[in-house]
Amino acid sequence: MRGVVEVEELVKEFRTFERREGLFGAIRDLFSRQYRNRRAVDRISFRIGRGEMVGYIGPNGAGKSTTIKMLTGILVPTSGRILANGFVPWRERTRYTQTIGVVFGQRTQLWWDIAVVESFQLLKKIYEVSESDYRARMKHFDEILELGRYLHTPVRKLSLGERMRCDVAAALLHNPPLVFLDEPTIGLDIVAKEHIREFLREVNRNYGTTMLLTTHDLSDIEELCARLMILDHGRLLFDGGLADLKNRFWREAAVRLYLKDREQGQRLSQLNLHGIGCEKLEELVWRLHFAREEWTAAEVIRRVVNAVEVRDIAIEEQSIEEVVKRIYLGEVLEESRR
Amino acid sequence: MSPAALVEFSRIGFLNMLAFRLRYYTGVFTYFINVTVYYFIWKAVYTADPAYAGLSFPQMVTYVAVGWIIRSLYFNNIDTQMAADILEGKISMVMLKPVSVQSSYIARALGESAFRLVMLTAPNALVIGLVFPVQPPASAAHFGAFLISLAGSVLLVGALNFIVGSCAVSLKSILGLLRAKFWMQELLSGLLVPVTLFPSPAREISAWLPFEHIGFTPMMIYLGRLSWPEIGRAFLLEWAWIAFLLAFGAWFWRLLSRRITIHGG
Repeated sequence: MRGVVEVEELVKEFRTFERREGLFGAIRDLFSRQYRNRRAVDRISFRIGRGEMVGYIGPNGAGKSTTIKMLTGILVPTSGRILANGFVPWRERTRYTQTIGVVFGQRTQLWWDIAVVESFQLLKKIYEVSESDYRARMKHFDEILELGRYLHTPVRKLSLGERMRCDVAAALLHNPPLVFLDEPTIGLDIVAKEHIREFLREVNRNYGTTMLLTTHDLSDIEELCARLMILDHGRLLFDGGLADLKNRFWREAAVRLYLKDREQGQRLSQLNLHGIGCEKLEELVWRLHFAREEWTAAEVIRRVVNAVEVRDIAIEEQSIEEVVKRIYLGEVLEESRR
Repeated sequence: MSPAALVEFSRIGFLNMLAFRLRYYTGVFTYFINVTVYYFIWKAVYTADPAYAGLSFPQMVTYVAVGWIIRSLYFNNIDTQMAADILEGKISMVMLKPVSVQSSYIARALGESAFRLVMLTAPNALVIGLVFPVQPPASAAHFGAFLISLAGSVLLVGALNFIVGSCAVSLKSILGLLRAKFWMQELLSGLLVPVTLFPSPAREISAWLPFEHIGFTPMMIYLGRLSWPEIGRAFLLEWAWIAFLLAFGAWFWRLLSRRITIHGG
């Protein structure tokens, strides 16, 4: 099956001007400049099928926005191939952009000084949306995003949450089959986030809209995306499902034991645990951690409860944040290299 | 781009200006001051030489007055706006629309001119016409030709400003270029001094540049200083410049846009 988005060996390099230090350096810079190539995106390949919702995450400066800018036809790749909706984005920009919707959370595509509704009117004309479609969609947007209240307010007077709702609606006004969202929930409160997620979910369900979204809020991914791509230093580190991510990178599990009394702690520390780590968190709370490859939680618990009297047991679930944090910090990468 | 979208872009340009209409109330005053200053400068010159530059004093007053009145129409800021958009990365929002970047900026310039017509040019014409002895156009036909030439001025400035604004892609500091272009336009359009008064080599060079069609040509038509064949030739040149600068601008942008870098968010 052909993907809606096909990316092969994508590379983007920026040439940056390196300033020398001091006054003498500044004068030398006038005559001979030193440049350095910085690779923002390094040989990335992936493919996205119709109707997929894909999360694209990575720490700051990983190359997420640069990728999105290439996918939307704003930046020209240094090398590699992109085909999206059957177009080479930067080469056929005006025809291509007719078929996509884009939200940059950090910027607005609405006109700053004029009422929101005027921006929508302009978008309607640009994308040649018919009057009846326009009416129907605006009504729908109003139902979920509650736009009606501030349609006649200039964008600069809107709060961030209101502005973002308008921006998301604006990107979807022409019902594009492919949508890119760069940090669509940045800086929003929980209610606003929920509105936007619900809206995106519904659009995806109703129209089979393909979506790629970057975010720093992993709950966006957990709630919206079945698939996740992790990027760092311009390279794709992971591409797969959320469960798959946990399975692959969740190496160490832990069990928390609430002991009956002090004596049990004594006993526990004397127990021969064969590679199970044991640490005391509080007087009666102990934590056992172990490699998931060697032990299962059930085995660990069975071993312990035979020897020690335990009041309660909790199995620690490793959060997706924890896994991703470790990937960003490079720990997991080290492990997979080993 | 569909004509409807073009009109809509111009309307947005108009509305955008409307948001800052207060700024324009002072604009009328500025133009009035400018005309007054030049009125007294030329008055001094004509006291010394009543037939200076082949124009009579009333003709020169008309030249200055009409020159500033039409400047309030054709002038626009899209070069500065575009440079700011490129340097701040807002250009990405323009590029995300299924519209050529050039037509969207030029449509905005047209909207700005429509706004200026109402907010600046009309009150300017009224105030300046009442205070200074401005002569009527040479004939109704000349006035018609003047209006056509003036429409060309608006497009010419738009096309030029688009090219100048585009340069912000490769220049990290565009202010110098913007200033240079601003003064070149003020001077070579004949706004400050009729181009016929330039010394010989400057006059010849100016004839090969597009600037004098912005102001000098329409004003000469207004004053009836050009014969009809000359007017025909001036039209041809003016619109050839417009076509060339639009085509060059489109090509120039295609070339430069590949080098755009937008960092951060």
